[in-house]
Amino acid sequence: MNTTREDRLSAFEELYAAHGERLKSIAFNLLRSRVDAEDAVQEAFLKAFRSWEGFKGEAGAFTWLYRILVNACLDEGRRRSRRREEPEPEDPMPREAPRENDHPLRLALDKALGQIHHRPRAVFVLAEVEGFTHREIAEMLGIPEGTSKHDLFEAKNALRRLLRPVAETRA
Amino acid sequence: MNASCSDLEAALAGADPVLAAAFHRHAEACAACREEVALWDSISAAAPSLRERWPSPGLEARIREALAGEKPARRWAWPAFASLAAAAAFVLGLLALLPRGQAPGPETASFSPAGLEAERLISEQALADVERAQEAYVQAIDALAKVAAPRLADEGSAVFAAYREKLLVLDSAIEECRAQADQNRFNAHLRLELLSIYQEKQRTLESLLREDPHAS
Repeated sequence: MNTTREDRLSAFEELYAAHGERLKSIAFNLLRSRVDAEDAVQEAFLKAFRSWEGFKGEAGAFTWLYRILVNACLDEGRRRSRRREEPEPEDPMPREAPRENDHPLRLALDKALGQIHHRPRAVFVLAEVEGFTHREIAEMLGIPEGTSKHDLFEAKNALRRLLRPVAETRA
Repeated sequence: MNASCSDLEAALAGADPVLAAAFHRHAEACAACREEVALWDSISAAAPSLRERWPSPGLEARIREALAGEKPARRWAWPAFASLAAAAAFVLGLLALLPRGQAPGPETASFSPAGLEAERLISEQALADVERAQEAYVQAIDALAKVAAPRLADEGSAVFAAYREKLLVLDSAIEECRAQADQNRFNAHLRLELLSIYQEKQRTLESLLREDPHAS
């Protein structure tokens, strides 16, 4: 099936309308910066557009777009790890102040999430924060479903250890 | 079956429902374990509150503008890609022969002591097959990298600079994962992870070769 350039642009507009907010949220939780998250989302759309022919028929459009985004964020995370001296980015668009209906663990969990390994963090964000199934995550990350489940366990276990002192203080 | 405090992580992993039920009974009488389980549950309960939503009024227009200025990708039909995919599938197939017993985490299988020796011999054979297939797959990717090398040498292109950067990151990840896999040769989980990084490298090289050589 051939598509015109206009068809593709229109398809991407629909994808942005349906998934833009969720894509930004995922990128934010992986990169810890709203500015970087917006750049990552833009880059994901560009990469998706460039490889449109390769994607058609391979997977659901949204899964494929998430895959590109998460891979870009994981690459950036590894790059930051390689330059360990590089501080966490200072976000010119800081997240909003705590909301009244926030879960009491939110702040501690947010901080702890930044301390765990990249891929388990990605799986945790996709599964627990955004509610994707392991099947969808496996497709997005190009890993077996069992690995997705294993990574989620690793992430939650690491978070449990990091949050234990917070829980003890609250008890 | 009785469970104790030392079964906490195995119970949380949830791979064994019998152990999970036994641990649940144990936790009813053990305050420390009860708190750990409560903390575990509260992590899942708090996670959705990390969804981050904020207005980005200019983002959609920025993306639309960037897309409008993009050149459409060229279609490639390169037989080598198909053979690489087949090689990856072959390695995956062989990996299925390896026991998961030494993979860490919830997928850990319980071994029957009586069958251990026989299983070890079978596993040695399966591992040798996996290592051979993996090596062939790696050589195929190396050959692809050689084809892509002239493009990567283009210092003036921002697009190719981004590819160079990504390939450096992937090579570093491969190096780390290979070192871990070499230390624990039977760990199928590590080998799958290594394979997934190689597959990403393969996709990256394929994508690089699809780029317009005059892209800036």
